[in-house]
Amino acid sequence: MYSTELVVQTFISGVMIGVLYALMALGITFIYSIMRMINWAMGEFYMIGSYLQYMLVAWLLGPDLWWLAILVATAGVFGLGLLTEWSLLKPISSKAAEVRSDYATVITLALLLMLRSLATGIAGPNQFTPGSNLPIVMVGPMPMAGARVAAFVFALVALGVFWAVLRYTWYGLALRATAQSRVGVQTAGIDVLRVDRVAFGIGVALAGLAGALLAPVFLVFPTNGLVTTVKGFEIVVIGGLGSIPGALIAGVLLGLIESFGAAFIDSAYQNIYGFVLVLLVLVLRPTGLFGERGREA
Amino acid sequence: MRTKGILLAMALSVASFGAAAQDIGVGLIVPLSAPGDATGGQLIRRGAEIGIEMVNAQGGVLGKKMQLFVQDSQGKPEAGVAAYRRLVSENKVVAVPGFFHSSVSIAVNEVAKDMGVPTLAVQASASDITAKHYDIAFRTHVVDPVRVETWMTFIKQKGFKRVSLIAETTDYGIGLADETLAQAKKMGGIEVQKVMFDRTVTDLTPQLLQVKAFKPDMVINIGVGQPLDLIMDQATTIGLLPNTPMLISYDAPTRPQFWQLHEKNGNGIYFIAYYSPKSKLSDIGDQFAKAYKEKYKEDPVYGALNGFGAVMILAQAIKAGNSADPKTLIKTLESGTYKSWPDAPVTFPKADGVYWHNWVPPVLILHYTAAKQDWKDAEVTVTYSKK
Repeated sequence: MYSTELVVQTFISGVMIGVLYALMALGITFIYSIMRMINWAMGEFYMIGSYLQYMLVAWLLGPDLWWLAILVATAGVFGLGLLTEWSLLKPISSKAAEVRSDYATVITLALLLMLRSLATGIAGPNQFTPGSNLPIVMVGPMPMAGARVAAFVFALVALGVFWAVLRYTWYGLALRATAQSRVGVQTAGIDVLRVDRVAFGIGVALAGLAGALLAPVFLVFPTNGLVTTVKGFEIVVIGGLGSIPGALIAGVLLGLIESFGAAFIDSAYQNIYGFVLVLLVLVLRPTGLFGERGREA
Repeated sequence: MRTKGILLAMALSVASFGAAAQDIGVGLIVPLSAPGDATGGQLIRRGAEIGIEMVNAQGGVLGKKMQLFVQDSQGKPEAGVAAYRRLVSENKVVAVPGFFHSSVSIAVNEVAKDMGVPTLAVQASASDITAKHYDIAFRTHVVDPVRVETWMTFIKQKGFKRVSLIAETTDYGIGLADETLAQAKKMGGIEVQKVMFDRTVTDLTPQLLQVKAFKPDMVINIGVGQPLDLIMDQATTIGLLPNTPMLISYDAPTRPQFWQLHEKNGNGIYFIAYYSPKSKLSDIGDQFAKAYKEKYKEDPVYGALNGFGAVMILAQAIKAGNSADPKTLIKTLESGTYKSWPDAPVTFPKADGVYWHNWVPPVLILHYTAAKQDWKDAEVTVTYSKK
């Protein structure tokens, strides 16, 4: 009934979008693992990354320097993340631990609304695209937009660099140690508030990178970050909150389930398949595939 | 200090209610943010605003100014219903034109039939908007059967045998998909593939791979706003476009943003339109076109013309009935003949089926034959009028 070619094409499509989903979700889980707070405005940093990419390509660098624009846009979102953490989140670090997460929720939700309204006010509700000069590429039997293949490769490289930094650098060690015990790292003389700031910057920069990479593929408009937020949280639940390998595997799993469900069950329910998986994971393994039971001191 | 603040707030609220009481309020519900088609909403809004300015420049209606209250539906039924309630309860509007997304229009009519303030859909085409024969429901737009008859004429003309529909799971998408299947069955000799998608999905590759595997002679793109553009781009990347002709189900390609988004894959696209510069405008239509061009430095497209037309029709009906009471307005709209932007009289008879309270403009299929072509130069492939 279905050709092998369609199955292979659906698989390729699912893996490619899955890796990009993983990149979108990684920031959420990374920030949570370090700061023990959920950044509800993550999608808006994706949106800012996409607008920066559009502005850099369309007005300043041109489509041939798209790769430079991606680096600049990601750096821009990283800087904005540092500023956001310093101005809005650092002040709540003096609050009691049990209410800090509640304050962070209120602040990031307010930030979500503010950034979205600001984008609509400044750029209007219309869609934009930075365009791409990259040719269509054959991935196995499937032709794909050069921009999408470039986004996939860039995402893999970014994930590899992120892993290497965490694994092999002193700062990566400090970040991992903070994720394990915020009190413990202070006894070793590490400035936890500074680690928080850098972690927040890196986390939102990952979302900004996804936004910049996907700007020519999924277009640029004020609410384009919504997909990041929704998919991001689905992945975090499936993979386990705070688990970085979990985010990667859950991203690819979600991409595959959505693609195969849409192609071979019913395309109208593409979004539902992911939620079914979320519900299954919550019932069978509430901490997620790679999550661990939390401990409260 | 606090007492002064309260007094100031009271004075301001009295002033604003006073202004509202003197004017005749008209609501406008359009999508101004995603997931709605914000560009479509913005165009209707521009037209309606110029309409209000023109009416007020000529002394208003019944000695009062008309005032427009705009609400964003976001293309969501629940937001549209909340907007309608707000307009009727707080702003005391006498009518609510607008409506781009059929789902919003249908949902609002369910509330409007109890609240009694008429709605006038200017760019929502699902049959149920008027087929339910609610007293409050009016429309100046193409309905599903006419739109489908237009593209079936095109399919027949081109001799296509296999057609794929990729449609969003909204009242608009489902209505058009089902109507196409019904008309294709009646016509015979055409195999139709129906592929549906949720309009919040951004990666439509799995759906488009199914379409490609079907090997259609033509694809009908029934996405509205952002999904429409995503379908075009993603169909191009998997090699479906430009090898297979694509028909877009409404007039989005006439918008200035179209070529910014589709510089490389817009050439060859067919699309439904309801107005061409070759169509003759009425005298007020001409005045509007000049005012619009002066204000926005571009020619008006259908959405703007119909937004303007709605305001002008309502102003004429209020004047003819010598009352701004919604119930009288409904009676006057049903019985009168009105002037809008086209050079043809507009009426809202209590006709059968979907044509209840419905004025239908002629439908065209236009074709871009060159990259970055001005929509005014697009080739007119089909002109269809409901007999």
